[in-house]
Amino acid sequence: MLNCVSLTVWLTTALALASAAAFGQSEGAAHHDVVIKNAIVMTVTHGNIANGSIYIKDGKIAAVGETVNAPASATVIDAGGKYLTPGIVDSHSHIALDDDVNEATSPITPHMMMKDAFDYQDKAIYRALAGGVTTSLLLHGSANMIGGQAVVIKHKYGATRDEMLFPNAPRSIKFASGENPKRVYGSRDQLPSTRMGNFAVQRQALVEAQDYMREWDNYNEKVKRGDKDASPPKHDLKLEALADVLRGKIMVQIHIYRSDEMLTEIAMAKEFGYKIRAFHHALEAYKVADQLAANDIAIATFSDWWGYKQEAWDAIPWNATLSMRKGVRVAIKSDSEDYTRRLNQEAAKTMRYGGATEEEALKMITLNPAWIVGVDDRVGSIDVGKDADLVIWNGYPLSSYGVPEKVLIDGDVYFDRSQPGLGTTHYKEGE
Amino acid sequence: MMRRNKPAWSGHSCPLLLTLLLALTFSTPALAQDRPVVLRGGKLLTVSHGVIENGVIVMQAGKIAAVGPASSVNVPSGAQVIDVTGMTVYPGLIDSETQLGLTEISAEDMTNDLVEMSDEIMPHMHTAEAFHAESALIPVARMNGITNAVVAPESGDTLPGQDSFIQLAGANATEMLLLRDNAMPLNFTGDQRRNKGGFGARKFPSTRMGLAAQLRQAFLDAQDYKMKWTDYERKKVDFAATKDKDKDKDKDKDKDTNKDKKSEPLPPKRDLKLEALLPYLEGKKTIVLAAEGPSDLQTAVSLANEFKLKFVLNHISHSKPVLDYVASLKVPVIVGPIYEAPKEDERYDTVYSLPAQLYKRGVKIVFASYSAHNVRNLPDQAGFATAFGLPYDEALKAITLNAAEVWGVADQLGSLDAGKTANVVVANGDPLDVKTDVKQVFIAGREVPMTDRQVQLRDEYSKKGKN
Repeated sequence: MLNCVSLTVWLTTALALASAAAFGQSEGAAHHDVVIKNAIVMTVTHGNIANGSIYIKDGKIAAVGETVNAPASATVIDAGGKYLTPGIVDSHSHIALDDDVNEATSPITPHMMMKDAFDYQDKAIYRALAGGVTTSLLLHGSANMIGGQAVVIKHKYGATRDEMLFPNAPRSIKFASGENPKRVYGSRDQLPSTRMGNFAVQRQALVEAQDYMREWDNYNEKVKRGDKDASPPKHDLKLEALADVLRGKIMVQIHIYRSDEMLTEIAMAKEFGYKIRAFHHALEAYKVADQLAANDIAIATFSDWWGYKQEAWDAIPWNATLSMRKGVRVAIKSDSEDYTRRLNQEAAKTMRYGGATEEEALKMITLNPAWIVGVDDRVGSIDVGKDADLVIWNGYPLSSYGVPEKVLIDGDVYFDRSQPGLGTTHYKEGE
Repeated sequence: MMRRNKPAWSGHSCPLLLTLLLALTFSTPALAQDRPVVLRGGKLLTVSHGVIENGVIVMQAGKIAAVGPASSVNVPSGAQVIDVTGMTVYPGLIDSETQLGLTEISAEDMTNDLVEMSDEIMPHMHTAEAFHAESALIPVARMNGITNAVVAPESGDTLPGQDSFIQLAGANATEMLLLRDNAMPLNFTGDQRRNKGGFGARKFPSTRMGLAAQLRQAFLDAQDYKMKWTDYERKKVDFAATKDKDKDKDKDKDKDTNKDKKSEPLPPKRDLKLEALLPYLEGKKTIVLAAEGPSDLQTAVSLANEFKLKFVLNHISHSKPVLDYVASLKVPVIVGPIYEAPKEDERYDTVYSLPAQLYKRGVKIVFASYSAHNVRNLPDQAGFATAFGLPYDEALKAITLNAAEVWGVADQLGSLDAGKTANVVVANGDPLDVKTDVKQVFIAGREVPMTDRQVQLRDEYSKKGKN
């Protein structure tokens, strides 16, 4: 196996890069038919295919197997016996926002749209791409109890802004809890400065949203009944967003550390009738994993970060695997411009801490985060019909050593280690 | 696909498992090794003389007594023999810059003793005097095979104080502090400018010019200070000599007037700051010269050369254009961290590949975690650097023997060689891979309890009935 023994082989192969036909060079060009052959295909959903092939048609995976039927005109990439995985999905990122992460002027800002701050030329996007990341959830920060609405991007560095937005991705909103909101507002002698205050502020906002929703529901009902005198309530962006949370139209992503707060958030979600998609950070999830599993709440956690603040003091590197064994869907995320470049290594740590299998570990940076983002039907595994977001690695990806050689998004190569300059095919330096 | 080998001790009869269980009963690692311990059957990564398959290592009285192939090493009688067949055995890892013992919870100020920010020039701060031996972070780090580390103050000051070199187990701080004041950081990265504000700046120094001038003045003051003391010592000798002569005179002559007699010279007033700089000015101790980009690097090196300081380089993460210059200095480099983000105009892999680029130019490199909580991840960085061209053996050396050489302890640490301190790690595979699980750590020949706060929490919450 490549993972332990043949380091020197890796080093050699790292330098002697397989050369593949260049394609997808010009922006906006029509999708080509592509075949990747001679790869160890790690499908994530149905095991590995040693010496497998993938046929990509119109940016989607059209076939995968030991052999595939593809037209002779298809561009062929010979993976040279290397590993091929789905593109990595980072379900918690704040890159490409030019520091506009927190609108920390009020603890309730659900109407902030991260899309409005999205800086599609930020080189952090291609640095993550060079680490195999193809999709990211860019979230509001954790200063506010209810922050803004996330944007989902594909790391098509060099493409236009709109081409980088994940098409028709579901909406997500960021809630927070614990130390950050109380520190931010407490330091200004404002509410909230305690966890009690945190939850009171959140509940107050949700109560107002209920009223707002009722007013609109009443109005719409009247209109439906043909009431010509019905006058519409005033539009309020803030409450509109929260009403959509209550209507189940926006997925709730909660920044949270302590297990007691997780239980409170679960109770509050039940009180107001919305669902929590995932707890983020969730360093104490292992303490209440049963309850998370029972409520179908995923976690997006770190592999081994700890101790950076009081509420991270009980973090343990077994959190991911202990929670997983209790039936929780677990993602390893970065929350960092740095770690997003090597999430494969972070996932590999779960194999060491708690004995995750290779497939379980890989799932934590592909299919599971895709579920958290709500795009698991489109990306996160190598299955027919999914987007051709793929990474060819120079070595075993779940190790200190594996780094991407080529990264494809929607069937186009967006990163190629053998390319000079930035190593990306769609971007020219100086542009 | 990737399948983990079943550990050699997966059966209950396994001796290592038993010793592991026994080890848990020690609350703190005791000082001296009771009886010889022999590790038999492992793959030994000696670092200094290659790999020995099916090797034997004998640890006695805290030292490595013998290392070699199973066929050639005698097992002393009465030794505790541990079968480590299938395991990889390597020297304890050395982290060349940490804040271990200076912090507990980063965001909680009362748990932090990282840097004294009241002035930029604080050479009289001794990390040894803040080092908290009972820190919960230390067992977490040593569980992954880190047995020794440099403890440095944070880089907020130009001269933030002096480093210590620690061993990650011992009865107390005194025992763990192998070296006090072994080196001193000199930081020139621009981050030390705390009074920035352009036209609005009110306090000196607010610029790099100011920082450099302040630094130069400090070393000049130290030179003057040294001269005063030298002068005093000379006068004292003269005085003693005169006194002796006078005594003789007194004997010879009558009790005459004492008008010729010199008064006893008074010592100069002691100045702790300047005193702390003297061993560095005299080239007796190492300055750790930190810079990031080419300009700061060259400014800092000029300053160091002006005062003939002995130095090693630190970081130089964005100095790729001047690596030949770096090589010409013929000093070791603590490189990175290689996770440092590239600058706007640098390639995505510029910093990743720095260790390999330096190695290619003949520079001795070492790695550091630059961390407290994440010290355990030191080997990951070394492994990752190999993906960008650093030879594997050099990566391992950078966290073992090279580090021991840089810190002047290569006679005791950094390789599996007879005579060295028995800091030895037993793991289930490649030390530089993130997946590798460390099974047992020996520090000075003693089994370190393989537990920490995190293991305890894991076990508590894995119990039946609890969650």
